[in-house]
Amino acid sequence: MLRFILRRLGASIGILFAASLLLYVLVINSGDPLSELRESNAENRETLMQRRIEFMNLDMPWYMRYWTWLVGVGKCFTLQCDLGTSRQGVEVNSLLALAAGSTLRLVLLATVLAAVLGIAIGVLTAVRQYSGLDYGVTFITFLFFSLPVFWAAVLLKEYMAIGYNDWIKDPAFSPLQIIVIALIVGFLMQVFLAGTIKRRIITFAVAAAFVAVVIPYLTWLNFFRYPQLGFGGILLLGLGVALSGTAMTVGLRNTKVLYPAVATVVLGAIIYFVTFGLLESPNWYILIAGAILAVIIPALLGKYMGGHLRGPAMGVSIVTGLVMAALTAIDHIFRAWPGFLLLKPRPIATIGSQTPNFAGDFWESFLDKGTQLLLPTILLAIISLASYSRYTRSSMLEVGQQDYIRTARSKGLSERTVIFRHAFRNAMIPIATIAAFDFAGLIGGAVITESVFGWRGMGELFRTGLTQVDPAPVMAFFLVTGTAAVVFNMLADIFYAILDPRIRV
Amino acid sequence: MTIEKEPVEGAAVLLAEAEDAALARKDSTSLSQGQLIRRRFIAHRAAMISTVLLVFIALMAFTSIGYAGIPGWWGKDYTMAGTVINGGHPTLSLLPSWLGGPGLAWGEHPFGQDSTGKDYFALVMRGTQQSIIIAVVVGFVATVIGAIIGAVAGYYRGWVDAVLMRLTDLFIVIPLLVLAAVLGQIAGRSGNPTVVLALVLGLVTWTGLARLVRGEVLSLREREYVAAAQAMGATTRRVILKHLLPNTIGVIVVNATFAIAGAILLETSLSYLGFGVKAPDSSLGLLISQYQNAFTNRPWLFWWPGMIILTIALSVNFLGDGLRDAFDPRQTRKAKRRKKKVEVSE
Amino acid sequence: MSISAPSAESRATALSFENLTVSFETEFSEVHAVKGISLEVYPGEVVALVGESGSGKSVTSTAAIGLLPSNANISGKAFVGGVNVVGLAENKMRKMRATEIAMVFQEPMTALNPVLTVERQLTESLELHGLAYGKEATARAIELLKLVGIPDPHKRIKQYPHQFSGGQRQRIVIAMAISCDPKVIIADEPTTALDVTVQAEILDLLRELKDKLNTGILLITHNMGVVADLADRVAVMFHGSLVETGTVDQVLNRPQHDYTKKLLASVPRLAAVDVTGTWTPAPPDPVSLDRELVLEAKNLVLEYDMRGTKFRAVDDLSFELERGKILGIVGESGSGKSTVAKAVLGLLPVASGVLAVQGTNLASLRPKESRAIRSKIGVIFQDPAASLNPRFPIGDCITEPMVVHKVGTRAERIKRAEELLDAVHLPRTVINRYPHELSGGQRQRICIARALTLDPELLIADEPTSALDVSVQAAVLEMIQELQSRYEFACLFVSHDLAVVDLLAHHVVVMKDGKAVEQGRVSDVLHSPQHDYTRKLLAAAPVPEPREQAERREARRLLLSAEAQQN
Repeated sequence: MLRFILRRLGASIGILFAASLLLYVLVINSGDPLSELRESNAENRETLMQRRIEFMNLDMPWYMRYWTWLVGVGKCFTLQCDLGTSRQGVEVNSLLALAAGSTLRLVLLATVLAAVLGIAIGVLTAVRQYSGLDYGVTFITFLFFSLPVFWAAVLLKEYMAIGYNDWIKDPAFSPLQIIVIALIVGFLMQVFLAGTIKRRIITFAVAAAFVAVVIPYLTWLNFFRYPQLGFGGILLLGLGVALSGTAMTVGLRNTKVLYPAVATVVLGAIIYFVTFGLLESPNWYILIAGAILAVIIPALLGKYMGGHLRGPAMGVSIVTGLVMAALTAIDHIFRAWPGFLLLKPRPIATIGSQTPNFAGDFWESFLDKGTQLLLPTILLAIISLASYSRYTRSSMLEVGQQDYIRTARSKGLSERTVIFRHAFRNAMIPIATIAAFDFAGLIGGAVITESVFGWRGMGELFRTGLTQVDPAPVMAFFLVTGTAAVVFNMLADIFYAILDPRIRV
Repeated sequence: MTIEKEPVEGAAVLLAEAEDAALARKDSTSLSQGQLIRRRFIAHRAAMISTVLLVFIALMAFTSIGYAGIPGWWGKDYTMAGTVINGGHPTLSLLPSWLGGPGLAWGEHPFGQDSTGKDYFALVMRGTQQSIIIAVVVGFVATVIGAIIGAVAGYYRGWVDAVLMRLTDLFIVIPLLVLAAVLGQIAGRSGNPTVVLALVLGLVTWTGLARLVRGEVLSLREREYVAAAQAMGATTRRVILKHLLPNTIGVIVVNATFAIAGAILLETSLSYLGFGVKAPDSSLGLLISQYQNAFTNRPWLFWWPGMIILTIALSVNFLGDGLRDAFDPRQTRKAKRRKKKVEVSE
Repeated sequence: MSISAPSAESRATALSFENLTVSFETEFSEVHAVKGISLEVYPGEVVALVGESGSGKSVTSTAAIGLLPSNANISGKAFVGGVNVVGLAENKMRKMRATEIAMVFQEPMTALNPVLTVERQLTESLELHGLAYGKEATARAIELLKLVGIPDPHKRIKQYPHQFSGGQRQRIVIAMAISCDPKVIIADEPTTALDVTVQAEILDLLRELKDKLNTGILLITHNMGVVADLADRVAVMFHGSLVETGTVDQVLNRPQHDYTKKLLASVPRLAAVDVTGTWTPAPPDPVSLDRELVLEAKNLVLEYDMRGTKFRAVDDLSFELERGKILGIVGESGSGKSTVAKAVLGLLPVASGVLAVQGTNLASLRPKESRAIRSKIGVIFQDPAASLNPRFPIGDCITEPMVVHKVGTRAERIKRAEELLDAVHLPRTVINRYPHELSGGQRQRICIARALTLDPELLIADEPTSALDVSVQAAVLEMIQELQSRYEFACLFVSHDLAVVDLLAHHVVVMKDGKAVEQGRVSDVLHSPQHDYTRKLLAAAPVPEPREQAERREARRLLLSAEAQQN
């Protein structure tokens, strides 16, 4: 397995090198970097040209320019990167440091979101092949496939951001709006939960009625400006997860699974109180440590209380633990929201990757970055969501025809076990390869998205670099995105090897 | 061996004999693969609607303002500025009079005017022309190169294959959009930017199809009819052109349509970023880029080109989906499920 | 039609069908797959359900386990351990699978999930049905693997399916089937995908298990030898109905129904094989002076290039084939028998040694010359579905060799195609049809016609009948024989089926691991084998006669135990 991954990594690095040469040559031949100076009438024209030639090494032959760049990059191994200077003489290193963070955050978040949601939707549509849900989702994915990114971005800005920002000033719903929302939610719920006509009608009625009651109540609470979960809410939701998780895996009667799950909820509730002060202004290390503990503690509970049902007990407990941790974090975010609204009355941003000169505590700046990221992430995720869900669907359907699925059914396994234990892992194998290509596509998409949302990110670096026939910023862009792609590709390879034992052993 | 006329139900007829009898009974009309595919395609409603829409849009784009010196039926030119009438509002109306609208009317400027008074219908039609030309050229170039290279790599394997696979891997580290932008920038300096841009885009988008054709050929070349052709002494050319490529036609046609849809979006993205078609010429992406800030005062300047891109891309994608179902009926809908009529068990 | 085993009236059945009917709704029409059959399987009994493709035998068994697709309409009754499973709610049916009724499938290579360990796949049904959990389940799984004869089960249980051979995988599938002590096991062509020697082992295993566990087995098969070997009773299915049921002796030796008689008559049989080694060979044929060698191999070595490492598929093989004769090459999978055919066809280069067609050594030929020699060789492959280009009409398929070698005008080619269609007894009208409109046997006859288009000196037949049903196989073999005596070509006939080679060939080469272990006249090699491997191979091939098969089984047991003592 290690050999397989190392070989793939070696090949990727070779490609990275070849691609850098290709891109460098293409960029320096894409125009004349001195063109506007040649036409200029400025008195110091000659000095300006001389300076630019110096910054860009224009006096060297092309291979020497490339070599100089490569040597500078080579210094990265001693942590002293030298990515050259732009034509204005600015160190590219400093430009890159500002740009790389926000772009990578955007691309990674969008990838994870798109992969998780897309695969989930793909599995669901494959299981419900030829249902209304399947046709509906198929149409929507085709629509997303065909959407010009920049066009959709303007629409999102206009309707989602500006619309929401106007609404949040004084959040209220008219009766008509409530009825429409209730009907839509009811319709969607019956589509997702499916079943017989009778069951669908009941689902529809319950969901619609629930929404119709909850929205006025929340408005009355002024929930949208002062959201709250509270201890009771956390406890209730946590218990719900523990009970439904147990019911779905082994059945509620099975105390070997139920007890560790409930114990996790109780423990989570205690920790909520104990850490309350700490989490009011935490840092990332505390949050990550908390997330790790939220896995380890339930795992141990499940292991020692689960007996012969250790496997499902650990699974249910870990899910419960993670949900409890997430709820705790959400509670703190909710508490920070009113303060955040005071700092930033129009929360959803349409320009930039963070609000300039924003001063808030940890949760407030978390919300600030989050609201800035919101639109671009939704946009990027939507585009690759479509491809993930289509590929997952066809892969699941393909796997569903295999003999071993029939074998699994003939053992008496339930449809859920057949799908998740036997079909899903096999269906994921081809997806791992597609993910690598998709990641590259997202970086391309990020260039456009950043341009629409006016981010000063990697896309900006690339775009101005290319317009000015300036290789240093373009190559810096390539270096970061290319390396990210190689790393991501390697992760996909590892994932691939984990999924497919034929590669491993 | 004699062929029995009609095997009587239940009579002892071996399979071998029954099959021959069935063959002799068959009527003379027989459906070729192509006819079956055509039938399935026509039965695909979304694909048929898309085809009609596409033909309509293409006809409108090329006949309205004319192309390459041939005048069209629409009198206005896309470069001609004029006086802004009624704030540039579109005059197109589709609401019939019995519903209280002004009736089906075309008007002076059906899609409105931009701030300099240019007729927006002419501009959008010009952009649509460009998009269609680019899409078709890219689709054609990418398909031809991809199919040939994919077939050669799949057939010969070895180093040809290795080079191809590394080339396609290139697109993992350089995003397609980035490479296309750089090439678009170079193409922009040439005499006929649109066609050169299209050719260049074709040169970078063939790898996806090549991968798929290669995969298909790798499995087809193990088929026994290929071995039989090789064994009877057929040349490599004949094996590839007569036996391998025709049998990958499904993959090729389907992916050509997806390549076309991709090319339309790629061109509009490039033009939006400023590396594709440049003013004073027009392109749908360029129009959106120019008028995105006009959204609040003149939203039609933003809506028309976007809706047309969306319609073309969506139609091409549905067309491809219909073709896929026609070529590969494995995943299409089987007979409708009927309620099982079964006796209730004790 | 229903018949029950004598003295079994009072016993409860493990599985029984009462007037079971199954039909499928397809795109255009309704297909009646099973038309009201009744059948019983008692505990500890093997009932074989035999028939050709499309007879409905697999549909019947799939109905019993409730795994038919949703477009199936089922009526009648199917009792599994006293419960009617027709129309049974899915959740109740699920509880009965594995515990009451289990299944063994045809393809061991694909029946196991490639990404889960054998342990996981074995223990999941134990845990699901509440028989054992955790370590206990693993211990039980190891026990099961030991029972089905997987060596070193402690270690191997942690492995993945691809680390086992085909025969071992089928053993694992059987272990899975018996894991929850089902009352009845449905074995759907359990040995069809396996080599003869492995087949014999799996049949032994099934026999042993049904005695040990007192399970009823419904054996679905088309192979009469397997029926004779394992079954207690036989039911013959034809067009969705049972035409004959009875004990194995009744049905195989005294068939009543015309269909059964005809079916049995089409089964090729190994004539009077002697596996004990007391046969006196006939005197050698006199070497005729005018014999004309068509194909000759001398110390032939053939190699595959597997990413740089050479894999030797054929090693030091020599044989001669003269005009008008048929040379059979037999062996199990991986023996290199098909590789020889590939090399003669020019699909694989000769690594060393001589391979000569009419005296011209293929190894030292330039491409142009080798193309000329191709016109002298015709070929028939195994899979009729893949042998014809689906985009060529039949006429083009048949005349392709003429096009390739630029022989004849268009009219002459059509005329030739018509002649050949007559020769293979197909109507001339098929000339404009496409391969997908023809059945497997008909396509194979088109392949024969194509092979004969240029009047070849040599016909290569690579397993030409192994994908065909028994009666279709008989028709194709008969045709090859007839055409061979008419056109007098030499034929290299590659097959895994000893009975077919016995029927058709004059000489035979027995191959194992790329080497020829024995060769000579068919009458000598197949009737008085000198080499242990040939004996084993012959002993493992089941014959469609229960008493004779029982003797051969005993002989095989002695042979194997003698061998075990030697080692």
